[in-house]
Amino acid sequence: MTSIVQQVALFQQGASIEEHTRAVLAETREINEHYHYFTALCEKEALARAQFLERLSAKEKASLSLLGVPLTVKDALCVKGIESTAGSRILKGYRPPFNATAVQKCIDAGAVVIGKTSQDEFGFGGFSVNVGLGYQVPKNPFDPDVSTGGSSGGCAGFTQKTTFPHLSLAESTGGSIVEPASFCGVAGLCPTYGRVSRYGLIDYANTLDKIGPMAKTIDEAALLMDVIAGPDEKDGTTLREPCTVQNAAGKGVKGLRIGVVKEAFGEATDSVVAETVWRSIHVLEAAGARYEECSLPLTGAYGVPTYYILATCEASTNLAKLCGLRYGMQEELSGTFNDYFTAVRSNNFGAEAKRRIMLGTFARMVGFRDAFYIKALKARQLITNEYLSLFKKYDVLITPTAPVLPPSFAHLKKLTPLQHYMLDILTVGPNLAGLPHLNVPVGMHNGLPVGALLMGTHCAESTLVQAGACLEKNSKNEKK
Amino acid sequence: MKPSTPSFTTDVVIGLEIHVQLDTKTKLFCSCPTKPVATKQNAEDVPNTRCCPTCLGFPGSKPVANKKAIDYALKLCLALGCSISETLVFSRKSYFYPDLSKNYQITQYELPLGTSGAVMLSTGKKIGLTRVHLEEDPASLVHPDSIERSAFVLIDYNRSGIPLCEIVTNPELASPEEARDFMKQLNAIFEYLDIFNADTCVVKADANISIKESGYIRSEVKNITGFKEIERALFYEVQRQNAAVAAGEKLVQDTRGWDAAKGITIRLRKKETEEDYGYILDTDIPVIDVTPEWIAQIKKQVPELPAEKVHKFVTTHKIPEEDALVLAQEKLLAEMFEKVAEKIDPILAAKWLRRELLRVMNMTKQTFKDLLIDEHHLIELLELVSTKQITDRTAQKMLEELIVKPFSPKAYVKEHGLGAVSDAGIIEQYCKEAIAENPGVLADYKSGNEKAFHFLVGVVMKKSKGKAVPNEVNSILKSLISH
Ligand SMILES: [Zn+2]
Repeated sequence: MTSIVQQVALFQQGASIEEHTRAVLAETREINEHYHYFTALCEKEALARAQFLERLSAKEKASLSLLGVPLTVKDALCVKGIESTAGSRILKGYRPPFNATAVQKCIDAGAVVIGKTSQDEFGFGGFSVNVGLGYQVPKNPFDPDVSTGGSSGGCAGFTQKTTFPHLSLAESTGGSIVEPASFCGVAGLCPTYGRVSRYGLIDYANTLDKIGPMAKTIDEAALLMDVIAGPDEKDGTTLREPCTVQNAAGKGVKGLRIGVVKEAFGEATDSVVAETVWRSIHVLEAAGARYEECSLPLTGAYGVPTYYILATCEASTNLAKLCGLRYGMQEELSGTFNDYFTAVRSNNFGAEAKRRIMLGTFARMVGFRDAFYIKALKARQLITNEYLSLFKKYDVLITPTAPVLPPSFAHLKKLTPLQHYMLDILTVGPNLAGLPHLNVPVGMHNGLPVGALLMGTHCAESTLVQAGACLEKNSKNEKK
Repeated sequence: MKPSTPSFTTDVVIGLEIHVQLDTKTKLFCSCPTKPVATKQNAEDVPNTRCCPTCLGFPGSKPVANKKAIDYALKLCLALGCSISETLVFSRKSYFYPDLSKNYQITQYELPLGTSGAVMLSTGKKIGLTRVHLEEDPASLVHPDSIERSAFVLIDYNRSGIPLCEIVTNPELASPEEARDFMKQLNAIFEYLDIFNADTCVVKADANISIKESGYIRSEVKNITGFKEIERALFYEVQRQNAAVAAGEKLVQDTRGWDAAKGITIRLRKKETEEDYGYILDTDIPVIDVTPEWIAQIKKQVPELPAEKVHKFVTTHKIPEEDALVLAQEKLLAEMFEKVAEKIDPILAAKWLRRELLRVMNMTKQTFKDLLIDEHHLIELLELVSTKQITDRTAQKMLEELIVKPFSPKAYVKEHGLGAVSDAGIIEQYCKEAIAENPGVLADYKSGNEKAFHFLVGVVMKKSKGKAVPNEVNSILKSLISH
């Protein structure tokens, strides 16, 4: 298949962007009909954009690294003039008057936005089954009865499914890039917190949200990463350090020190998943890396509760503004403003959103605040320290991305909310600590993909790309 | 509910929470202008024209802290003698009200920028400050009719995100008069720091008031706008509580609103529990280190403050404290005094600036900012007075004209022949005429009526067109009569 770089080169040499885009849109429509990857398609805007790019001079085209590349954007990111709802009915009709910075950077690099992809409502879930009221659940590209993972399920499924080169902007709060990437067998890079501006991201939890690339290959994810990273005056939490990860892919892994987190290979992890990831550890070893087993006891014990308390506390304040007054869903005006916004919220938030709002509100109220919110802040610091001490010894930590193979919708229905939350156990740690992490597809079992999770210290994205690219190259024979 | 703690010693106990709008160009968390922008179509402020996705709270927007606003708040904290927090963190205060775009307000909770400062009243009493912190203003609600009768309410987000500093006092004010004095001192500090614009910025207060007779059960009066209203509202509330206790009523802790038009407070709700705002950190704004270097740099910008000026005026310029207090109240007046006092006897300068200049400015409704004359005009004028080249009366008249359309006093005196008449011969001539023309008055004086003498002085002054030096007139007249 043509790669992004090859496709861009073709456009730069004069291949028709408009024609290509028409074909892309037709295929997209067809895929979406069966797999439900989109909350909104923007065909008219995409064609207009393609025509505009087509008319550029050869010199202008030569400067655009994403010239004509079809881009999909998780619904939580604002795209100017395109309905952006974070997968929630309560934001139906919200057409942001601005682009998210990450989206703007892609557009400036020549990308063509073709649609907003489906997700768990506001990112509240790991399987994309908690879609907002009125939305359809996306289906796994390998098996329509199986989950895509979440919350960036639409991004992941579509990235796997297309026959054309394509990139996707995903977002993670507790694992929402790497986990769906794992379930759909694609590369997903969740960067260091602050690497990519959150301006224009409809917030889930401000201290945890990250925007990152999803792509068919590690290389392509790295290419997109370099486009979207960098400081932004509209987001005070962005880092100043420059980010160049693209060239790291070919470096090899000789001498790389790898820590294998042993808790992640315990009883709770499917044996086939554990075996597949162990095989990939040996692949890295064969390529010149050294590995050693290590342990993250605090993260294992407190990661999930700490994550859920902080994430829901922050989410409950972020969602407070959604009350049917200023944007999005509005209803018949009746009663006092209290009656009105209560009705709007009751009718338009999904069950999981309501659950998390209640949890978060509870955990920050007087009397509980110290026991939950403040304590979770402290636990988070301890967890971060635990990781950072391991990174004194290792360049990369490795675990499976998910403890299980992609589950079927029927199986997920049987789980309690708490069991759902516990499946995030391998991904919440690096998210709490703001660490970059990468999913690499490393094998298939029963026709479903298995992913390895590589984690690095702050701003070590290039090390992850280095290791990930090596793994990808050498695991190729086992795929599909 | 916490039991009230009647450990106070005064009859009335007042604590204030003052919200002062910082005079920045842009809002606290975005780059929208804080003041109306005149366009070709409109000189006036048009609702909802100064807002962006951030101050409207649009999903996806993010706040970015305005450095200037933090500088100003820091300056105020330093001027008030506060301890400064080492880090600046913002929190979210969650509550629902239609004027609050995000349904939470970004404010400071855990670590206020300043703590434990003080303001000195004109009596020398110190009022302690619990905290000084930064926060954003909500939008404003516009009722097309009265609050009760309006079928709907309009929201204007132009105010949304305006930077405010909240100053919270200890409950140490013992009367509405003290509260007024406190506000006066505080206002003078705002003016000196150049962080507040009296024309465009608003001061709002919430006040806690309780009286001894009720066992210090306190009422909170919300949203009092403007300096004068604060004293009025407090005065009313003390009266109301006294009357209620006298009528045998048992007071309960409550929250009240101030109706400025009717001049009364109205109960909004009984305050039985503290509202729970569920504070969490607002981590969209990174933790900002308030470094010693930053503090030192701002400290350099804090000018000599009113209290220091008073002290200096009394000790080095040797002017009466009463004059010093008035002069120090206004920064520009104080500065003008200092410049004039370099050339003119400070006591004379103080008297003229404090009494005459303020009187004349009051007449013409001028403020110091739009004053047309400067210290050179005053120095020239007062030189003429101190060397007795013109009389006080002439100087007063000249000042009245000077302030409307400045000119050189010396040239003016020459041109209009206003020089004081101190030539004894001419004055004696006027005196003789006055006595000859008013024989009855002379007789009156001789029979012991002092007033008759003043009448004669008046006649002489009239004859000299106000230019005769009064002392000269007195002595010459006396010697003529006693002959
Ligand atoms: Zn704004």
